[in-house]
Amino acid sequence: MRVKYLVLCASLSIALAITGCKTNTEQGKSSVSPVDMVASGEPEVAELTGAPKVPAPVGNRQPKKLIVNLVTTETEGIIADSIPYTFWTFNHTVPGSFIRIRVGDEVTLNLKNEASSVLPHNIDLHAVTGPGGGAAATSSVPGKETSFSFKAINPGLYVYHCAAPPVPMHIGNGMYGLILVEPEGGLPKVDREYYIMQGDFYTKASNIKKGLLEFDNDKAVAEKPDYVLFNGKKGSLLGANMIEAKVGETVRLFVGNGGPNLTSSFHVIGEIFDNVYLEGGSTISHNIQTTVVPAGGAVIVEFKCEVPGEYVLVDHALSRAFNKGAIGKLKVTGEANPKVFNAKTLSKH
Amino acid sequence: MKHFGFIAAVWMSIGLMSCSNQENNPVEEKSFADHFSGTVQNTRVNTAMAYIPGGEYKPFYGSDTSLVKVEPFLLDERPVTNGEYLDFVKSNPAWQKSNVKRIFADTAYLHNWSSDTTLPEGANADAPICNISWFAAKAYAESIGKRLPTLDEWEFVAMADATSPNARSKSEYSDRIIDLYLQKNRQFNPVKHSPPNYWGVYNMFDLIWEWTDDFNSILTTGDSRSGQYEDKSLFCAGGATSATDILNYAAFMRFALRTSLKADFTVANLGFRCARDTVVHLNK
Amino acid sequence: MNRFYFFLAAMFLLTSCEDKQKHPEPLPSDSIFNLSSQWKNQYGDSLYLKDLQGKTLVVVMIYTSCKTACPILVSKMKSIESKIAKKDKRDVSLVLVSIDPETDTPARLHEFAKTNQMSDPQWVFLTSNESSTQEFANVLSMKYKKISPIDFSHSNIISVFSPDGQLVSQEEGAIDVDKVVLTLHETVQKSK
Repeated sequence: MRVKYLVLCASLSIALAITGCKTNTEQGKSSVSPVDMVASGEPEVAELTGAPKVPAPVGNRQPKKLIVNLVTTETEGIIADSIPYTFWTFNHTVPGSFIRIRVGDEVTLNLKNEASSVLPHNIDLHAVTGPGGGAAATSSVPGKETSFSFKAINPGLYVYHCAAPPVPMHIGNGMYGLILVEPEGGLPKVDREYYIMQGDFYTKASNIKKGLLEFDNDKAVAEKPDYVLFNGKKGSLLGANMIEAKVGETVRLFVGNGGPNLTSSFHVIGEIFDNVYLEGGSTISHNIQTTVVPAGGAVIVEFKCEVPGEYVLVDHALSRAFNKGAIGKLKVTGEANPKVFNAKTLSKH
Repeated sequence: MKHFGFIAAVWMSIGLMSCSNQENNPVEEKSFADHFSGTVQNTRVNTAMAYIPGGEYKPFYGSDTSLVKVEPFLLDERPVTNGEYLDFVKSNPAWQKSNVKRIFADTAYLHNWSSDTTLPEGANADAPICNISWFAAKAYAESIGKRLPTLDEWEFVAMADATSPNARSKSEYSDRIIDLYLQKNRQFNPVKHSPPNYWGVYNMFDLIWEWTDDFNSILTTGDSRSGQYEDKSLFCAGGATSATDILNYAAFMRFALRTSLKADFTVANLGFRCARDTVVHLNK
Repeated sequence: MNRFYFFLAAMFLLTSCEDKQKHPEPLPSDSIFNLSSQWKNQYGDSLYLKDLQGKTLVVVMIYTSCKTACPILVSKMKSIESKIAKKDKRDVSLVLVSIDPETDTPARLHEFAKTNQMSDPQWVFLTSNESSTQEFANVLSMKYKKISPIDFSHSNIISVFSPDGQLVSQEEGAIDVDKVVLTLHETVQKSK
């Protein structure tokens, strides 16, 4: 009996030690598993932002209790060239608000469906461990609010979307966004962070209202979009809306893809990604030209801006960029850097 | 008019209708409306009803692909209106917004009415009543000797377009309904403002969502992706619940709505119409 | 309702003292005792839900011929019962409501109670008619569907109601018995 007990004890402590080590190396800091992390204090309302902005980094803070308030809407917006389209949204924008939390946070998610909505909506957050990612728990008819809570146990960049049937239609109309779960201690500091989300749009003229476009189911089934867009609108990252950085700064892009159907080949013309958090997870790859962002997936890319100029962001399946709108720009200002890039023009004199 | 199988103008005696149609009940059947109001009165009981001959139909969401039999029944040709509901609450004060028991209707019940017996400002008396719970709809129906249609009855009638009883296979059928569904504020239009369907029934899609008697009989969640419950222990004799007509997005939307409802919910674009059996059972 | 109030007023005039004692306070608006459906228990007695007023209620809907989920629900109810603190026991009723009134007659419920050793007075089995059953299921936000003459699909919910009939909590799906017991204990304490 005694021997048995000893053996059991020994094996238990070995097991514990191994688990401890594993957690240590993965997290780099705490030996507490995310499930057991204590979120202390009174619940706070989380800061949310519309694209291309992101909320402040979590930094070094401890796990918290957070309240995330989202409202689902069905509203007309401009899809391209002053053409209106009936978007369905989280918090009135496509993509929906960026949610930024850390591992161990306890989140209460309140989903209110606007009273003027026609349809029920819900939310499935890919950052959630649990049935439907919250979809069944949050199914809200017009005018009603539902709620569920979850603990963030896996760090990464995740898509959330409406999963009310018919799901492709809800996503096709713009019901998606990103939720970032930072690891303990936060992501490394960078100078600029931006939120970009791609989506494919299938349109036809509304029979009800002249000039208005609405979702076309046949085109969606055939996967033949009229528009492939960053941030729900043609030109959302062009002209006055270009994202910006200065020479010498490091830029981090949180890039998601709502789909519903197309996989994005995300590329920044004239830049090489120094770091790519592959598929938004914990594996970091280096020196990447084009990275894949699957429908319902995301990626974090980082690069240092060395040379001033305008850098074009595209889905490198280029017909989408040239013909369907999947194009944006990053404007880098600052001193020229001829050591890295020198555009010499030949003179005839 | 020629499409009507039969139109029944209902001037049924309340005495006939309140009789029980259940024979094996351990407890004597009691009218639902009686629970609240003693003798329930409603002066407007003359909504024309369309005769629906019934038949077999394939439910959009069902236990399997087998057909479901729908018995002949009568369905109100249009939804219940604001004016009719006003009459109902005048005769049945228990259903006025300041009297209604919270267990039967949430706080949004008739929230936009100016008073217990005054319609919302600017409301059309002939527009469909909304912001009413399942309990309220059921009490209304029983007050005039009718009942709510079952989900199968409603969906059976919903298969029709203007010219055929089952238009599901026509590609434009679902598209047209979705076009209607995407319009906001339809519920403020008067009933019968658009043409009827094959059965002579108006406004199945172009005004409101409608309560059905057994809206709570759908055991899927609002999340249709799971398709079916694998874990049979979750539901007795649980079973396949996958959609039989995956392209019928309009039906998906109705089912999404129904699965998200609770009986005390009141919603701005959710109303109802009444139905009735074709055969009246008398007490033995 | 008019008539009911009239009746109440009349009763008040006639036998004011007695009536007052029977109904000391009006029911909360969200109380399940506002339902006036009629039920029969496993002994064949007719009763209204408000006859259950005064005790904390643990409620589940089942049908006795069920072979899959209901036996689990029943065993969970028994497990809850066994974990109720001794001093709380007489303040709690455990109520099993049939979703199959056609089959589940009072006699059958009585037999079922006996077979499952649920004959003590805290166990209440109820059956009514289809309409009252549906209404009650809707009050519990419970989904069910008859899928064959002998089988029902239904959601698995155990609910706790205060002695006034107000919903305190619901556990659905994989029901955590200890959580129900804790809620039950708190509700009993609060009502004392």
